[in-house]
Amino acid sequence: MFKKFDPAEDIIGTQQLKSSVQKGIRTKLKEQYPHLGDYINDILPKKENFKQVKCRDHVEMIAREDGVVLFVKPRDNPYIPTLRLLHQYPFILPHQQVDKGAIKFVLNGSQVMCPGLTSPGARMTPGLEKERVVAIMAEGKQHALGIGVMKMSTEDIRQINKGIGIDNIHYLNDGLWKVTTVS
Amino acid sequence: MADVAPEDGGSAVKKDDGGLPVGPQPGVSYPISVHYCKECSLPVEYCDYGPHPEKCRKWLETNLPELVETLATSDTPEAGEGDEKKHQKRGGKGSKPAATKKAPTKAPANVTLQRAPRGKNKSVTVIKGLGAFDIDLKVAAKFFASRFACGSSVTGADEIVIQGDVKDDLFDVIPEKWPVVDEDAIEDLGDQKR
Repeated sequence: MFKKFDPAEDIIGTQQLKSSVQKGIRTKLKEQYPHLGDYINDILPKKENFKQVKCRDHVEMIAREDGVVLFVKPRDNPYIPTLRLLHQYPFILPHQQVDKGAIKFVLNGSQVMCPGLTSPGARMTPGLEKERVVAIMAEGKQHALGIGVMKMSTEDIRQINKGIGIDNIHYLNDGLWKVTTVS
Repeated sequence: MADVAPEDGGSAVKKDDGGLPVGPQPGVSYPISVHYCKECSLPVEYCDYGPHPEKCRKWLETNLPELVETLATSDTPEAGEGDEKKHQKRGGKGSKPAATKKAPTKAPANVTLQRAPRGKNKSVTVIKGLGAFDIDLKVAAKFFASRFACGSSVTGADEIVIQGDVKDDLFDVIPEKWPVVDEDAIEDLGDQKR
């Protein structure tokens, strides 16, 4: 999804949000990611404003005052943390771990196929339904290498074991990863 | 919620057996600080999958020597080599060798001036390329504004817009204010739409 992302071209404009809207976004984030809990105040301090960045293809981003992008919202999807944020707070998203062989494909932007999630090196968080945003972890690695949306529930992946399991949205070294700050 | 055994030790997030962790781990203080490689911008453990692992390795050895061992003990380097031999290399888009990446050759920096229409009978002057000379664009815009007594602003990366047609004057003003910019390096693009 963010394989190509050029801040000079793809960003349409930034907007300072009204504090009431900011409050709404904060509660929405909390609702969506219950594990965030009190950490939301570390990520988006109540005192500080944050910016909304509008991009092409109906992508919205939430950026901190100093321009660090924290959350991304592609079209109708929910808010998704960026990988840099996820590295700091890995518990935001449920984890799905792929085996070692899948790493290089995921880092190239490919979808995660079911066998990569069911093989011995892989592990899955049980009970995740379809369309859930998950962190893609890797065998033997500590940090997430991508963020995706489940295309099947965990149980289906295990049973069917064929086709696309997780749709890759954001991965290490993609266009969005290279965007560190927006003005 | 899965059963999560308390776990200690730095930034270890993952348990080695059983399910994946859910929720904040006890004994881990957030935010976790992640070491990113300055060469490829990836977390250091993913350097092997980056565009040029050798460079990363060198960088790591000079900058974070204590982390080199942790990487060396992990089995990625050997496994990576083994894979290389077994599989035929495909000419994928993603894994370009570093050499083919075109090095940013020092192109002769150019300042371009153009006039863009604004409304029926007014125009603005667009200056591009000043940033390549290490000129602070904000300061430059301010200077133009006071010099020509008109509005002037930084409108994008390396772009200044001056309200009013002052292109002819700029050919003298820019080299005078910033001697690094040669008058020959200023290019006139004429009338162009922005």
